[in-house]
Amino acid sequence: MSAAGEWRPRRGLFFFRSRPTSGDYIVATLMLVVAVASAFPLVWMVLSSLKTPAETMQVPPAWLPESPSLEAFGKVSGVINVGRSMLNSAVIAAITTAGIIVTSLMAGYAFAKHRFHGRNALFALLIATMFLPPIVTLIPLYRMIGTIGLDGSLAGVVLPNLANAFGIFLMRQFIAGVPDDLIDAARMDGASEMRILFVIVAPLVTPAVAALALFAFVYHWNSYLWPLTVLQGNADQYPIVISLSRLLSYNRGAMNTNLVMAGATLAVLPPLVLFVFLQRFFVDSIVSSGVKG
Amino acid sequence: MTRTHQHSVWMMLTPAVSLIGAFIVVPMVLTVWLSLQDWSTQTGFQTAEFVGLDNFREIFGATSVGRDFKGALVNTALYTLMSVALILPVSVGLGLLVYQRNVAGGNALRTILFSTYMVPMIAVALVWSKLYSPSEGPINQMLGWLGIGPQPWLSSPSTALVSIVVLNVWQQIGYFTVLVVAGLTQIPTSLYEAATIDGADGRQQFTAITLPLLKRTLLFSAVIAIINAVQVFEPVALITQGGPVGSTNVLTYHIRRVGIERAQGGLGSAMAVTLMLSLIVVIFALFAFARKGDDE
Repeated sequence: MSAAGEWRPRRGLFFFRSRPTSGDYIVATLMLVVAVASAFPLVWMVLSSLKTPAETMQVPPAWLPESPSLEAFGKVSGVINVGRSMLNSAVIAAITTAGIIVTSLMAGYAFAKHRFHGRNALFALLIATMFLPPIVTLIPLYRMIGTIGLDGSLAGVVLPNLANAFGIFLMRQFIAGVPDDLIDAARMDGASEMRILFVIVAPLVTPAVAALALFAFVYHWNSYLWPLTVLQGNADQYPIVISLSRLLSYNRGAMNTNLVMAGATLAVLPPLVLFVFLQRFFVDSIVSSGVKG
Repeated sequence: MTRTHQHSVWMMLTPAVSLIGAFIVVPMVLTVWLSLQDWSTQTGFQTAEFVGLDNFREIFGATSVGRDFKGALVNTALYTLMSVALILPVSVGLGLLVYQRNVAGGNALRTILFSTYMVPMIAVALVWSKLYSPSEGPINQMLGWLGIGPQPWLSSPSTALVSIVVLNVWQQIGYFTVLVVAGLTQIPTSLYEAATIDGADGRQQFTAITLPLLKRTLLFSAVIAIINAVQVFEPVALITQGGPVGSTNVLTYHIRRVGIERAQGGLGSAMAVTLMLSLIVVIFALFAFARKGDDE
């Protein structure tokens, strides 16, 4: 690119990789616009949570709070039980995630490394469930959970979600890449299949397990329809996403948008922070589970 | 394969298979069965009474039940169409923006785009309901700077549904962009080099190489986008309650209202079965369409 002895640094100007052309300026501008448009709503949410109630109602809108205040975050706790809701969310997400990891590793290992009658048919049936929108099974599932006495409880929220086809698919994809020799050698040594899976195979697919854990945690932290249906009326058990909607109905008519935005900010933080730290795994696993196959 | 291995295979499969069987396959079968019954969701399954196709006649009939359901079906179809029509081209554009290597920052952009996908829909709905606010919302303010008059967004029957499409696409677009980027990395750079030597310009390369080779990715994206689109619930449940004038009454919201809140389990199940059958038809048609393109 740059001739020997030329003084210009290889990387070119600012964030351009080489001497920018006019097309590069357009690309850079587009990227900036997209980034701003993508980030804007969440930035607006945080800014609004720092405003006074009057500022959130101002016409035309005030973009920045005059004197940013964390008061709204304190006030949220007066309306909903923030600590309890966050704890409920964490319990739902953590237990569901643990269940999904164990059941997916086991089934994924069976599908990747064992031959048995009906393997392909069973796998196809499981994968088909991945494409079923939850609303299709919601009504009988709600009755079933009621019949076994788990309606209104966190157990009722968690139990139906302890296994899913996506997890099995992801684990099968990655476990298939573990060398057979390694597994055969362990079998020769008399190790049980369970032991082989959890002691030898699982550590080799740690990145995939991490990705699945993050996906599952974020998905079940955010999930709304099922907990709302199972827990109806039992506010003690509400995860934060459902408590937020109570904040809104409390807020209706009153000037408390800053409160709602403070609550929303609290609900957004855990999944967003997880993502920022572990995004590498997320993206890799989407790529390998999606189109590579 | 020894006998002990066979034994352990089933031990490995049992937890996942029995959970998915009990909580997805069984309810699925029950939904189909219940769609042929008169049944209240408040009572046990044994109280169901067989009524043949009466539920289906009712939800497609001329009464208010039929009108509401057909309205929800149309709203969902429109919603799905608009979502796919927005998601596919926008994700390709953003994918190219993330993938190109002339200007740095592609990975940072991917992170920003994908981060919205991690945020609970309920928070997204709350924030966007404020952004859309006709008087104190920043969107109309910005349109004003461009000389465009204020829009009613969520408060008018003609714009409410598309407003929800937009907030949903905003949330999900990072996921589809990542899929497109993955598809782009699969295209051999030698193809572009050869095309450049042959004198093909950027646009010719895009239509002759990029788009055809992204076809599998876009087919997958379309299927996921459709399945996501029929699931839209939170913005409707929280902000519009199906209104104004039923314009955002979509199927997931409507089925839950009928089958759970009004406890009309038979009717709700018939609606769920209709949704499922429609999805199967649409997805098969999509694959047939893609295959037909391959043959040509």
